Amino acid sequence: MANATAVLGQDEHVEHLRKEHLMLDPKPRGEMNAMVMEAMHTTSWKFWVVFAILSVIVAVALFGAWGYMINTGLGLTGKNRPGYWSLFLVNTVFWVGISHAGTFVSALLRVFKAEFRRPFTRAAELMTTFGLVQAGIMIFSHMGRVWLAYWMFPFPTQRTIWPNFHSPLMWDFLAINTYLLASTMYLFLPLIPDVAMARDRSTGWRKIFYRTLSLGFRGTEGEWAHLRIAMNIFAFAILPVMFSVHTIVSWDFAAAMRPGWNSTIFGPYFVVGALHSGIAAVAMVMVVIRANMKNMKYFIRPEHFDALGKLMLVVSMGWAYFFFNDYMVQWYGGDEVTHWVLEWQEKGPAGTLWMLMLVVNIVIPWLTLWNKKIRRTPWAIFTIGLLINVGMWIERFIIIPVSLEINRFPFMWGQFKPGIEVPIFIGTLAFFILLYMGASRLIPLVPVWEVQEGQLAHSVRKFGKETVVTVSDLE
Amino acid sequence: MDNFKVVDETNAAEEKSQGLWGLVVNQDVCTGCQACVTACAMENNIPWVGEDDAAYGRQMSWIRVERLWEGEYPEVTSTPFQPIMCQHCGKAPCEPVCPVFATVHSESEQINLQVYNRCVGTRYCANNCPYVVRVFNWYDYERPEPMNNQLNPDVTVRRRGVMEKCSFCVQRIHRAEDAAKAEGREIYDGEVEPACVQACPASALVFGRLDDPASKVSKLTKGDSAHTLLENLGIKPRVTYLPGGSHG
Amino acid sequence: MTEKLTLLAVFADIDPAAHGIDKLREMGVEDDEINVISGIPVTEAMLGRPRKWSNVPRLAAGGSIAGFLVGLFFAAGTPLLYPVSVGGQPLIPGPPTIVAVFEMTMLGMLIATFLGVFLDSYFPSYTPKEYVPEVSDGKIAVLFACPAASEMKFAQALSAIGAESVKPAEAVHL
Repeated sequence: MANATAVLGQDEHVEHLRKEHLMLDPKPRGEMNAMVMEAMHTTSWKFWVVFAILSVIVAVALFGAWGYMINTGLGLTGKNRPGYWSLFLVNTVFWVGISHAGTFVSALLRVFKAEFRRPFTRAAELMTTFGLVQAGIMIFSHMGRVWLAYWMFPFPTQRTIWPNFHSPLMWDFLAINTYLLASTMYLFLPLIPDVAMARDRSTGWRKIFYRTLSLGFRGTEGEWAHLRIAMNIFAFAILPVMFSVHTIVSWDFAAAMRPGWNSTIFGPYFVVGALHSGIAAVAMVMVVIRANMKNMKYFIRPEHFDALGKLMLVVSMGWAYFFFNDYMVQWYGGDEVTHWVLEWQEKGPAGTLWMLMLVVNIVIPWLTLWNKKIRRTPWAIFTIGLLINVGMWIERFIIIPVSLEINRFPFMWGQFKPGIEVPIFIGTLAFFILLYMGASRLIPLVPVWEVQEGQLAHSVRKFGKETVVTVSDLE
Repeated sequence: MDNFKVVDETNAAEEKSQGLWGLVVNQDVCTGCQACVTACAMENNIPWVGEDDAAYGRQMSWIRVERLWEGEYPEVTSTPFQPIMCQHCGKAPCEPVCPVFATVHSESEQINLQVYNRCVGTRYCANNCPYVVRVFNWYDYERPEPMNNQLNPDVTVRRRGVMEKCSFCVQRIHRAEDAAKAEGREIYDGEVEPACVQACPASALVFGRLDDPASKVSKLTKGDSAHTLLENLGIKPRVTYLPGGSHG
Repeated sequence: MTEKLTLLAVFADIDPAAHGIDKLREMGVEDDEINVISGIPVTEAMLGRPRKWSNVPRLAAGGSIAGFLVGLFFAAGTPLLYPVSVGGQPLIPGPPTIVAVFEMTMLGMLIATFLGVFLDSYFPSYTPKEYVPEVSDGKIAVLFACPAASEMKFAQALSAIGAESVKPAEAVHL
């Protein structure tokens, strides 16, 4: 390889750079391919134990409980008058938020040419697809007559009626479906060359599977040209879609004529909230992958957690800004009923949760993530990420069931007690992890061609007396 | 500034001549006996949810009588009762948010309709109703014998997963309209009485055509103290309240 | 009529590959008789090749127009076809129309882009093709057509420049 590291010899600083940065530590492509294939094939008995436990949880807590609820009625949940929406919608928003992680990493970071994204774009995109599957399950769970859900699908029928596009729920339908299709396509396009590589290195049923999936890809100039152009279009276009999806989800609440909900800042507030929980979730998934999959310690390094940690800190500040905007404006100039809602959130039965939300979403990240050592420690980032996700779940809990307990008629205030939503949510968590574990066995988790592309673009050179990293733009 | 309209009324449901039904609640004579609640439940096949569910806020009455009071016990100065049912708003906030058009505005009666067989149960309408008058079928409720014999054949029996609410006893409105058409006359004032209006022993509820200036309802709404609930929301409810209260 | 043979030369890196292609052009092979297969995207300019034409951007634009029209139909067309009166909002509501149109435009554009890749690359295609698995290990393979008689001449010339191997291309089942 025409790599400037060789020219400078075994300089200590260069050696440190090589250990630190994946992009400066190139291995022959064949070797990296073998590492990724090995990671995919190597499965310990512990994996299968966890897989089995999760499968049982999914069968019982998700499909079992859900089926029972569909058969018996939504009365099994904790919903009542006035709390018509509860944990199902909280979880829908939660999962849609997590799904923004993938798009953020693979699209936003690609657009800004942040090279550190390269090894984990696919891991993040998988989170998007699987997260949206869980969001879909939650949406269907919350419907009273889910067997008629297809009425929300716009198609001509002899019923002479179409869905109502005045409704924010219909915008949700369009937006979430667009996002699901778009991110699955965006997951698939960069996957094609890696699946072609897997095809070349597999036998048996795997070879048939990869051959079908790789569609006959060889890597000709034409194929790469079309793929590259398509990926650029996707990267730029999926960003407005990502912003629109969570904004539209926020409009389910903001467009309603409810005190505490009718806030104009919900759009950006929810988007930043989604990024907050999403990036934290990406960090968590990467810690788990790095710790448990073979050879991942080469691809995922402390530098990646460092970068993600910085992003988590910045987004936490953004979230605090939008939270305070929403709170301050309602506290200062809100009418009486809005103040009832604010007081209920802060000082009512959920007041401890409200305080906890602020602590884990703002205080903890601000106290820890400025420190480089903490950012580079995988288990620390995992813990902080987990706390952030708990905090963001609580945020949606405060916004939905807790706010619904208050309305303009004190005679109709009512408290919420969770019901069958809890096992169903645990079921979706298990399902998400299960799908992810399954995917890690079936497709290469690291986009090796993108990593190699990045490695070819990086080199070190002397700038005066200092050895610096140089990145070329190979597109 | 005379001709300047602050609120654009053009999008409000068009007031057609066929019928603008409205209700007046006279809080001054309401005794809070809840005969209206019972009558409504009989007329509209409203299920019994059981003690536990009712305590948890899942009672399915389409009309509720709010018990309010002024002053601290034992110096309570006034105990107005406030019967509240669907206000059939002209600009109902529950209508645009239903994704499948299960709650729409009736062109002919100018009331808010709930189409049971179209509802898929997303419950957005219930969240958006500022009067919290909508109820949901959380289960398929059983009617213990012999109560299943008192079902009203004019009204659909709803299954689980469907929203419902006061319909101004639209089945009675239709029956009167049919009878009037058959006899070739207009409906006379007071002919249509929803179940609650019919049952009220104090005649606190009055129902009729708001577009008929001679009707009792229209005259009552012109009174000085007549007001609608949550007037500042601008959703044009069809139910007018005359304030007052017992123990005055 | 000289019989043409397709040869496949494997290069380990981009510089030898670029020199190899120059040599081929010197030896009289036309640009459209050369095809390059690689494990990472190598831009045409890096190898001195003419830019490849792609229909994907135009298909994306067409898709966005189709999506726009579908969104417009949903939000504005369906209420005109089957008018239902709701909540004092006009029959065709402004902001909801914008939302529906935006989403459908983006969906149309992205689906068209995705299918455009398939269309332009003739995916999926499971017929036997000229390929060597070394390509996915990072090598650059150059396929070119040359007169059958001069096979040895080409092989020697390219090996001298740095090709790892030059042999007749076989169409293999991928």
